[in-house]
Amino acid sequence: MELFLESFPKIFISGIVITLPLALVSFIIAMLIAIVCAIIQYAKVPIAKNIVQFYIWIFRGTPMLVQLFIMYFGMQSIGVRISAITAAIIVFSLNTGAYCAETIRGSIESVPQGQMEAGYCVGMSYMQIMMHIILPQAFRSAFPSLFNNLISLVKDTSLAANITVTEMFMQTERIAGRTYQFMQLYIEVAFVYLIFCTVLTWLQAWGEKKLNYYQAGR
Amino acid sequence: MALLEIKDIHKSFGNLHVLKGIDLTVNKGDVIAILGPSGSGKTTLLRCINYLETADVGFMTFKNQSYDLSNTSKKEIADLRKHTGFVFQNYNLFANKTALQNVTLGLTVARNVSKEDADLIGMQMLEKVGMQDRANHYPSQLSGGQQQRVAIARALATSPDIIYFDEPTSALDPELIQEVLSVMKTLANEGMTMVVVTHEMAFAKNVSSHVILMEEGKIVEEGNSKDFFENPKQERTKEFLRKEEM
Repeated sequence: MELFLESFPKIFISGIVITLPLALVSFIIAMLIAIVCAIIQYAKVPIAKNIVQFYIWIFRGTPMLVQLFIMYFGMQSIGVRISAITAAIIVFSLNTGAYCAETIRGSIESVPQGQMEAGYCVGMSYMQIMMHIILPQAFRSAFPSLFNNLISLVKDTSLAANITVTEMFMQTERIAGRTYQFMQLYIEVAFVYLIFCTVLTWLQAWGEKKLNYYQAGR
Repeated sequence: MALLEIKDIHKSFGNLHVLKGIDLTVNKGDVIAILGPSGSGKTTLLRCINYLETADVGFMTFKNQSYDLSNTSKKEIADLRKHTGFVFQNYNLFANKTALQNVTLGLTVARNVSKEDADLIGMQMLEKVGMQDRANHYPSQLSGGQQQRVAIARALATSPDIIYFDEPTSALDPELIQEVLSVMKTLANEGMTMVVVTHEMAFAKNVSSHVILMEEGKIVEEGNSKDFFENPKQERTKEFLRKEEM
């Protein structure tokens, strides 16, 4: 019990100050990457479309842990020094961005073509229609999947421990190494991840309700 | 000088030759009903002259401006569409916008009208189609007839020189058709220039000034509506009218 009172606040706080910000910053960057990539693919921009496809192919086709090692240790070995936290943010953003890009592209494609035509017919440009009509509707249908990706990302930040980022899991490992109470501490950290993800699930439900404003009977 | 003149539109989808050389002249104030069996190319014709489809061949003069319907710059298309309105068979209201926002978006976003002015115009247009009470409803909260009336208000808001109607009542339940037709009749009486693809014979007969019968991508007969219904020249037209009357 004493150990719990000493260790739990430490783990929890490192979750609040490292894990969550790491996940949120990476996710915001990922969303920007994803929206741009999704529009490039949807609009079939020549060349750029192929670059995007290549990027998604690479980042969805290789393990995140390997990506982290390449970005940190690999880069270091060829003389490119990036701080561990920067490397983690780069990999998390690019990796999650690749998944979200596919989600958003699918959602854009599911908005009926008539919405685009109607936009043209009242005189709007492609980008205006995208911003005012297509993306808001696509965002609504993409929202649950995107939130899924965010929840995955929160847990996947624990992989950053492998490249020396002292995030919540690394913090736990250190305490465990000192006290030898592995079982208790791993369960504690699992519980903190569970708390974070539970709160996110609530947020998702609340957000979905908010976004349903234009849909009758839901 | 005619408001709109179309010469020799051809359009194929793969091997299917949908339009086989259509000419059409629309003067200001005309209400032209385009009739014809399904698959005769009526809708494609309308879509081609607003560039929702690109014709294979075809030329158009609109407000003394020439357009190549098979090849035009995006800017020219955008300029053209600032002067036309389009009403779709399935309304195509913007699902994430209220009735009022649907009507004003073409003003605020596409034409830089201030929100206050646009709302004023928007409410006027909704009033015209009898939808002012539903201004803050989303499309999903409206019946088909109500959605189509909002769509007409949206087309009107930008004060177009011509409005194209693509089977505006075909997706509606029979009891909702009348509310849309009566709005269109009011517009016609106010002198709005309209080209209407329709299956509503009563509308063609009583409201439109001219009627065109299309079949297999060609115009079979055209004339003012009185002549068309009372003295059709072509055998095919007589047959079509007989079938429609049954």
